[in-house]
Amino acid sequence: MADKDKMAKYRTEIQQMMFVSGETGEPSAETTTLIESIVQQQVQEMLRECTALATRRGSRSISTDDLMMLIRHDKAKISRLRHFLQWKDVRRSVKDNSDDKGGDAGADIGAGEADLATGIVAGSGPAVETGKKAKRAKVDLVWDVQSFFNENVPARDDVEDEEEEEMNYATLQRLKNADERTKNMTREEYVHWSDCRQASFTFRKGKRFKEWAGFGIITDSKPNDDIIDILGFLTFEIVQTLTEEALKVKDAEDLYKKETGGEQNRRKRKRESGLFDPPEEAREPVQPGHVQEAYRRLQRGNNKSRAMLNFTRNIHRSALKLV
Amino acid sequence: MLRLRTPNMSDDGAMSNGSANNSGEGGDTMGEEDPRAALFRERFGLTEARLMAALGDGKKDGCRDGMNLGSRPPPEISTVVDELRPAITPKKPARTIDEDDYGDDDEENDDEDERASPLFSKSAPNPGALALLDPPSLKVPSLPTPSRTAIERTSTPSSEQVKSSDDVRKKLQQDKKAAEDAARRSFQTLFYTLENDRDAMLEQQKLDELDQQVETEMSGQTIVAINNGAVAPAQQGTLSTTNLGASSLTLKHLIARIDAKRNLVHATDAQLRSLISEVRKNRSKWANEDRIGQEELYESMEKVLMELKATEHAHPFLQRVNKREAPDYYTVIKHPMDIGTMMKKLKQLQYKSKKEFVDDLMLIWSNCLTYNRDPAHYLRKKALYMKKETEKLVPLIPDIVVRDRAEVEAEERRMRNGDVDIDGAEDSDDEEPIMASRGRKAPTKGGKGTTTARKAPPAGLEGTPGPESKPSIPSLNNLVSNLKNEFLRADSDASMEVSLNGFSTPPPGTLTPIGLNGTLRSGAPGSQADYSEADGTGNSVSGLTLETEDADLDDLEYKTWKQVTKKDRAQIAAERNRLFRGDHLNIEEPAILRTKAGMRRWLRHRKHALEEDTPEESFSAPDGKDGVEITSSETLAEGIEGETERQVPDYYDPVSAIPDLSDRLKWVTDSEGQVIDQVEEFIRIVPKGYFTSPDSVLTKKMNANMRQMQDTRKICAKIGIVKQMQLQSQMYQNQFQKYDPQPFVEVDIEPLVVSDDGPIMSPYVCRAALQRSVGKIFYHAGFEEFQPSALDAVTDIAGNFFTNLVRTLGAYREAPKIKAEESIVIPTSTSLSWKPRFTREETVLHCLHENGVDLEAIEGYVKEDVDRLGSKLAIMHDRMKSHLAELLRPALDGNAGADGAGAFNDGSEQFVGGDFAEDIDEDFFGFKELGLDKEFGLASLSVPLHLLQNRMHNAFQSQNTSNVSTTGVLMAQPPPYEPVTIRNVTSQIGLVQEWFLAKLRDNNDEPLLEDEDLPVKQRFPKPRLPPTGKISSPRKRPLREQQQMARKKRKLDEGKDDNNTNANGSGSMNGNGVAKGLGKPIGKLKLEMPGQKENQTVAEPEKDDGSAVGMISPESIGAV
Repeated sequence: MADKDKMAKYRTEIQQMMFVSGETGEPSAETTTLIESIVQQQVQEMLRECTALATRRGSRSISTDDLMMLIRHDKAKISRLRHFLQWKDVRRSVKDNSDDKGGDAGADIGAGEADLATGIVAGSGPAVETGKKAKRAKVDLVWDVQSFFNENVPARDDVEDEEEEEMNYATLQRLKNADERTKNMTREEYVHWSDCRQASFTFRKGKRFKEWAGFGIITDSKPNDDIIDILGFLTFEIVQTLTEEALKVKDAEDLYKKETGGEQNRRKRKRESGLFDPPEEAREPVQPGHVQEAYRRLQRGNNKSRAMLNFTRNIHRSALKLV
Repeated sequence: MLRLRTPNMSDDGAMSNGSANNSGEGGDTMGEEDPRAALFRERFGLTEARLMAALGDGKKDGCRDGMNLGSRPPPEISTVVDELRPAITPKKPARTIDEDDYGDDDEENDDEDERASPLFSKSAPNPGALALLDPPSLKVPSLPTPSRTAIERTSTPSSEQVKSSDDVRKKLQQDKKAAEDAARRSFQTLFYTLENDRDAMLEQQKLDELDQQVETEMSGQTIVAINNGAVAPAQQGTLSTTNLGASSLTLKHLIARIDAKRNLVHATDAQLRSLISEVRKNRSKWANEDRIGQEELYESMEKVLMELKATEHAHPFLQRVNKREAPDYYTVIKHPMDIGTMMKKLKQLQYKSKKEFVDDLMLIWSNCLTYNRDPAHYLRKKALYMKKETEKLVPLIPDIVVRDRAEVEAEERRMRNGDVDIDGAEDSDDEEPIMASRGRKAPTKGGKGTTTARKAPPAGLEGTPGPESKPSIPSLNNLVSNLKNEFLRADSDASMEVSLNGFSTPPPGTLTPIGLNGTLRSGAPGSQADYSEADGTGNSVSGLTLETEDADLDDLEYKTWKQVTKKDRAQIAAERNRLFRGDHLNIEEPAILRTKAGMRRWLRHRKHALEEDTPEESFSAPDGKDGVEITSSETLAEGIEGETERQVPDYYDPVSAIPDLSDRLKWVTDSEGQVIDQVEEFIRIVPKGYFTSPDSVLTKKMNANMRQMQDTRKICAKIGIVKQMQLQSQMYQNQFQKYDPQPFVEVDIEPLVVSDDGPIMSPYVCRAALQRSVGKIFYHAGFEEFQPSALDAVTDIAGNFFTNLVRTLGAYREAPKIKAEESIVIPTSTSLSWKPRFTREETVLHCLHENGVDLEAIEGYVKEDVDRLGSKLAIMHDRMKSHLAELLRPALDGNAGADGAGAFNDGSEQFVGGDFAEDIDEDFFGFKELGLDKEFGLASLSVPLHLLQNRMHNAFQSQNTSNVSTTGVLMAQPPPYEPVTIRNVTSQIGLVQEWFLAKLRDNNDEPLLEDEDLPVKQRFPKPRLPPTGKISSPRKRPLREQQQMARKKRKLDEGKDDNNTNANGSGSMNGNGVAKGLGKPIGKLKLEMPGQKENQTVAEPEKDDGSAVGMISPESIGAV
């Protein structure tokens, strides 16, 4: 037990993240531990891959590009990440410019997205907004069109960044869900919500995170700030994806139980209290089983990885898939 | 000559109604004819007669079967011709009786007998003269007139029986033939899998082993037998008596004729015999002169055994039951029997009659049925099947009792005696010793039922009765003969009768007579009793379950097929197996080669198959004029080679297959005998675009993208040059390579003429094409150039992938068809109610999925990586263009004026710097070639292109200066020092005034230029700041050397940087940027270092130029 406790370093954070991701109940310690170990595995795998990439590049330390390279196929995630990085810069510059003013804006890492999408920018005044406009730099991908040419030209301000325009469907759906959930919240609830949104594996826990993720063992012990931030973002994404998938699993299971009768007493109770359903919070949280199933589903590979092995006798050992 | 003639004579005799019988002239008339033709004709006559007899008798058989003792039927009438013929022979009455089996083989032998008998009468009775072939014929001479009625009773029914059984036999043979034909026909219509070949092979191997075993077991005895046979002395006698095997039937007329004219023939018997045996063919191994009827009987028995062995269910009955397998077998079964043992017995000539043989056969099956009482036992099924098969085959065996020649001889003699003096009955006893004394020992082989039955002492002499000899038959015979009170010599007939009654009846009845036999010989020990018992029980059991048990596993056609082809299949399989025995290739084994015969057979089969399609066409018709000869010669050759026809379809003999010649390769000549080159008609030109990318929308888009990239790259190159110009204070000729990428053109292959159908199989061309496509995709993905190895690797991978893709496609296309629903009936072929398992679309989708591609991915690629890339590229192009324009603007605007004259207003440093050289041609730096002139619109501009560099440089410097100042890093520019002139030299301190004046004087009273203001080449090298930050010794070395050293150390970028800093320094020094100043050595570089570092550690989003992410080249920093 002690061992487990030692392992579980992010229990509250994960709970908060799950809450933000749609889990209403309080997940058990087993669930969070399971999620934590999954996330840890994923992060370590990422770092390993990054190191391999960096080595191939001839560099000893990993860069943000390596991290982006890892998730390059997930277009939605890439665009979210770029978005996140842009706003991070905005906040930094704002903080630099006016320390007192942008203090609160910089604190909230996750909220930036929501603010943008829902159009709530009122929190940070007009001055900050103009600053944003002026300072917001594009985070370019190394393999983008820019890299085709050996001359760098300054971006034109008038060019609309279309990638931002077409915000990913999944991202939008996520924001919409968040919006739905926050719509009817009281002030206190919303405060709690926004607190939860700030949950991060990395924010102000750099040392703990580095230790947890195996910096210094897997890779360079002195990572870039950006890398830590990106990893923080990605870990949050992992937890979110896992939770969403686990919730889906649970929903399907509930539906099945309902259709096939499930346990007798439960059904009876359901029928009794049609009008007075238990409040949402009283719902059962996701179980480790759900998380496991969700993880399995997310790990399920497609044929792409073994396409070249068709008609051969080689056995395909699929690598760990990054969630 | 004699030999040649004789056939004619006999032939003549046979055909021309016996009139020529007496005279030899008939032979002479025909003497000229080819003996072969005569032989053919004789055969023809024979077969025709036989056919007639078969047809005629067949009708009457039905009504006559039942009445054994019925009155004589009219068939004699049909044979009147023959009756008339043997006028010489005195035994006419006997003949008439005999003649009623005319048309059978027996009948022919009768004729021989007739021929023989006159000889008998003429010449002294020959000791070994009575080697007659068939028992039926034997009867005839043995019929003495007084006992005629009795003989009628015995012989006629038997002959009738023989006839009916013959018919059955024929019919069965026909059926079999038909089945075989059907099977053979099915070769062309059905494909049989090879899965049973192995079983067939194993079975056949077992059979062969069995045969071998039998052979080895036999060998000891056969030697004895041969010895015994050799004892038989060569005797003078009629030719007909020499057993010439089956061929004696065909040659019988000849032989008869020779016999008739024996005294005219000047040849010994031995000579004649050897002559004839030379003529006739394929005498069977069973032939034995001393054993009458053996050849035929054994021939057929062997055939039946082989047949049975070959059936698929025969396997368990091939060998003795092993005691290990069935410990109690020999307690249950007292008289075991198996096919192997029967083979042995057959080889040892232990069978005397058909009956014995059939009894043994039936014993096998009944044993099985007795032992395996469980109705569901699988062996029962097999036994029942085999029994049925046996019943079918048994009628094929002629009902012959093998008799000793000696005996027959004696009989004959007796008969003759009987002819002369009617009581010759007791003579036989007298005769025997004579024969014995003649040393005509009958072959010792086998238990001789008939001979042992005889009371005559020679029986004892004649050989050791075989262990298997059956005492039952003699006893039976005795019984019968006793009953009838007949002559002893008649007992052969009697036994025959019994056996006939017992066995020649149609198959279903077989069992009951046996039972009768058993009861008759109640005391008889041995197999018979057991057999009947066993059979009784077996039958009762099987009777109940017959229907279910009989249910056959395979359909009839397949079974027939298996049966017919078993042996050959086994042989072929064994041949192959030998090559691969032990799971490796046995190189020592003889290879399977194609044979001429095989190839011919293949051709013939094909022809047959074709004929079946067009039945009205005659065989030779499709061949045309030249074909006839070929086929005829072929058939001849076939005959000579003596090939054994294999009863297997052609695909069992693939080596012999001859591929079809395509039409274009046919040798066709025109009217003048010239060969028409048909190839020309098939020649075609490979259509264009076979190896280029198709003209699709996607290709167009990609090509457009690539063109866009090329254009943008051009602009990039110009930007690079302009930047270089800004940085470099000096330029040299051909510094800038012209960047002028050519548009991509896919070159098709040279016009190619082929005469084949299908795609062009040219791996290296295909690979090159694929490589080109890969290269294009590379370029499209943004790689301007790439290593050949990378291209190779990706090409290989792509090729591999596409191979997989196509293989998957093939696998899905070839999936077994499924039954189509009624709704989907293909209009073209209504009978075809099958449809592919997958539709084309499904196939493609499956195959894509299998290979990890889905439509979304493909569509995504087109959308993202082609369409959107296009727009992105367009944007980038615009950005590049505007950037270039911005870079160039300072050179064009400002004081340059409309005609560029203002360009000289800026002090014209170019002239001072010596860069200006009018005598060099205008496009000194190759700007025009680079296309910069067009960028500036210089065609109308009067500014010489080589001035551009200076202008750019200066403009940039001035711009840069302002840039630097705006960053606020540098101190404010100190006011520049006044150059020392004649006028202001006085304001210098007195100590140096002298020195300055001297300098001024040297300088022609011009203002003194110092340090930074010096022309570049006269400047002192700037002291470089070592990493320590301490300037130790500023001017240790002479100028040049130091410069060279520095240049060596510097890389290109650094060099630029250096220049950059120089420029910056000078810019900052000179403020207005008019004059070229001396650059400050430790300027910008140092100052900008921290900034750079910062940029690397923190992401550089703040940067205006958007070049923040990663790998910032020093130039780009410098350009800021």
